[in-house]
Amino acid sequence: MYAKELNERSPMRLFEQSIHGGLGPGNIGVVVARKGVGKTAFLVGVALDDLMRGRRVLHVALEQPVEKVREHYDEIFTDLARTAHLEDIATARLEMERHRNIHTYVNHTFSVERLREAVGFLRAHVHFEPIAAIIIEGYPFESASPAELEALREMAREQKAELWMSAVTHRDAPRNERGIPEPVARVEGAVSVIVSMAHDGKAVHVRLLKDHENPDVSELSIALDPTTMLLKQE
Amino acid sequence: MITDLQRVRNIGISAHIDSGKTTLTERILYYTKRIRVAHDVKGKDGVGAKMDFMDLERERGITIQSAATHCEWQSHHINIIDTPGHVDFTIEVERSLRVLDGAILVLCAVAGVQSQSMTVDRQMRRYNVPRLAFVNKADRSGANPYRVTEQLREKLRLNAVLMQIPIGLEASFEGCIDLATMKAHYFDGDNGEIRRVEEIPDALKAEAEARRHEMLDAISLFSDELTEAILDERVTEDLIHAAVRKGTIALQLVPVFIGSAYKNKAVQLLLDAVTRYLPAPNEVTNEAIDLEKGDTKVTLTSDPKADMVALAFKLEEGRFGQLTYIRIYQGSVRKGDEIVNGRTGRGVKVGRLVRMHADEMEDISDAGAGDIVALFGIDCASGDTFTSNRIRVAMTSIHVPDPVIHLRVKPKDKKAQGNLSKALGRFTKEDPTFHARVDEESGETIISGMGELHLDVYVERMKREYNAEVETGAPQVAYREAISRKAEFNYTHKKQTGGAGQYGRVGGYVEPLEVGDFEFVNEVYGGSIPNEFITSVEKGFRACLKKGRMIGFPVTGFRVVLNDGAAHSVDSSDNAFQAAGRGAFRDVYHRAKPQILEPIMKVSIEGPTEFQGAFVRTVMQRRGIIVGTTETEGFVRVDSEVPLGEMFGYSTDLRSSSQGKAEYTMEFAKYAPVPAEVSKDLIEKYGTGLDEEE
Repeated sequence: MYAKELNERSPMRLFEQSIHGGLGPGNIGVVVARKGVGKTAFLVGVALDDLMRGRRVLHVALEQPVEKVREHYDEIFTDLARTAHLEDIATARLEMERHRNIHTYVNHTFSVERLREAVGFLRAHVHFEPIAAIIIEGYPFESASPAELEALREMAREQKAELWMSAVTHRDAPRNERGIPEPVARVEGAVSVIVSMAHDGKAVHVRLLKDHENPDVSELSIALDPTTMLLKQE
Repeated sequence: MITDLQRVRNIGISAHIDSGKTTLTERILYYTKRIRVAHDVKGKDGVGAKMDFMDLERERGITIQSAATHCEWQSHHINIIDTPGHVDFTIEVERSLRVLDGAILVLCAVAGVQSQSMTVDRQMRRYNVPRLAFVNKADRSGANPYRVTEQLREKLRLNAVLMQIPIGLEASFEGCIDLATMKAHYFDGDNGEIRRVEEIPDALKAEAEARRHEMLDAISLFSDELTEAILDERVTEDLIHAAVRKGTIALQLVPVFIGSAYKNKAVQLLLDAVTRYLPAPNEVTNEAIDLEKGDTKVTLTSDPKADMVALAFKLEEGRFGQLTYIRIYQGSVRKGDEIVNGRTGRGVKVGRLVRMHADEMEDISDAGAGDIVALFGIDCASGDTFTSNRIRVAMTSIHVPDPVIHLRVKPKDKKAQGNLSKALGRFTKEDPTFHARVDEESGETIISGMGELHLDVYVERMKREYNAEVETGAPQVAYREAISRKAEFNYTHKKQTGGAGQYGRVGGYVEPLEVGDFEFVNEVYGGSIPNEFITSVEKGFRACLKKGRMIGFPVTGFRVVLNDGAAHSVDSSDNAFQAAGRGAFRDVYHRAKPQILEPIMKVSIEGPTEFQGAFVRTVMQRRGIIVGTTETEGFVRVDSEVPLGEMFGYSTDLRSSSQGKAEYTMEFAKYAPVPAEVSKDLIEKYGTGLDEEE
């Protein structure tokens, strides 16, 4: 399989081992980090992991234009293809693009209802189904209500899709007793998996903060290459 | 020669097609006294604006369309370089952008940021062009400069900051309040040429204060001095100008101005801003490739005494021969100088040097770094670099994409025949993305370019400018072939037909080449093939690339590694090894899994949300991929990639499925493999007989 090596180096492999059964359809996973650490690249990595297996991904961006989101995919895909010596890159890229759909909302026009409509639209007009994962980037967690998060989870359940989101935190953000920082802590109830990312100048370190209802979060801490967001090769 | 570079501005005016770029340029030339009468627009209700655009271009061709126009404003020399609007002419736009130091991005106060504005903005970003935004048509019904500024921030991600607020809007638009000086500006007289400055009307005082705060807040990031002054409440005009200028040149700020060129309002304030905020030529870093030092980059200096470097960015046929527009990057040019064309290596003598004004040209004796002038009667192509004979550098070559579409043209009569070749000679020189050739088999003339419209325009120009009427065939997509995997070959060419025989054996492998069309690697050691025949093998392969064996289109991305072979002391020859190369190609090609590649266009469709379904349908029907969707209040933009072969007649289809309310732009994106079923159709259509050919 052309995409095998790519998927072997995806951080998702380690997650699947540590997170009990992975994120799972109908659940929300959140990656939380400070600005500029590479949340987008991480989410693109999550998406590519599905795309390379021929599964569909809907990428929703609330802050970035389509073009920008796409550049992230192109950049990471090109790096991956090069390091993995993919045979027939052109076809692999085409397949990836066919399975990916980017949806952006500018001028704060995003709402759960609109997203649901968009998904329905893709299904009806583009035959874009089933959707394995929905990525939501730039979601304003600070102003989010637990009810809205529940509504998003409901939508993920309807679609039987994994829902991955990113959240921006700050250096001095308060943390709850399990180490989960604001603004995610206050809506934690609707979120199944929470991971944090931090940059130490050499690599990006990823830690698991919440793993479903599991009380003892396994000591997962992995280092990623800061450009490709793939596992660092020793 | 202009020696005070601080007082020179080389700018472009870029806009979506109906934003009023032509009217704005016209007004600028009028206020700077380059033309005596501001063009009278017919159709006072504004309906005539579009007509006016066309009429102006035709009637005043050289005034507005000329590649560079020069004017003066408050003892600054401003060179305005024309930047063509449509994306089909991307190469021309990009070449123009290279010679600009700054630009005015014109937006319509009603329509705001449109798809074309995005394309233009992306190009400016790529070439690091600092820009001002001018929100035009503030007098139109539905005008909302605040919304447009918001769109600049949201859609183009620009740090757009309003420097003015309008006094009245739509029909009651009277003038602007300058937030730097906190004065109201009005424009009187028949053509708005009389400026009147007054105190801010009471009704707008609070709004102006609030907006000024926002502006100061945004620009204070670029000046510590200004930040302190704000705290001490002693902000001066100069401090504001310095901070805005710094942010603009650093590409971190886009100051926004408001006006109505058509109603003669606030254009002068925009000109003030050009001189204040856009960079002088010596504030911009320009690099060239040093051809003598293995293509390393060198930074050019704007010193007029240094060795001369200039770029020919546009050719124009005048009444007296070819006019070549050049931008001088370093050193200076004098009449009578001997300069060298870097591409041909040939020296040419500068006979006449002229500066272009709006409607006349002025002979000058010399021109220095930073300036834009024209040379007369010099033979060269667009994009050539000229230098003094002491150095060899080239301005970074702009990537020229290969044409994606072909069209057969046939002159209607004998006279047209002669004119056609003249026209083609000119066009191919002006535009490197436009090609013309005579098909060896059919003897017909084939023109190639970047899109249907691109070629349409040239066919129209043949008729209008060269009196060459032609009949055209159906446009044909420029397919390509490429192998997708490595395959080995071992081929023996042997012929014994009495007399001298032919013998040559070649062994090795072929594989896909990531960048480039063809690479030939010789790994034959120990002389199993004599050295002189290695190039024969290469020639043999090369000959086959012109016509792939699937559908007869050129083969690209092909790498050959030759590592084995055998020769015969008598029967081996150049011919025999060329034939062996050709034979090996025929033998190995199908095993290397060739694919047909087709040009894929990036198509962006924009319109009211209710038509989203229709947009997507038009793309899906054409084997397109929906890349993404952007939603905003009431509007939607669908970004897609569609094979060029499916795009013929698209505008008609889109118009009818959106009641004329949608628009789209299209530009070349990449080559990609065609799906299997299309491949089968193409092979049936073009591929017959290829296998029998030797």
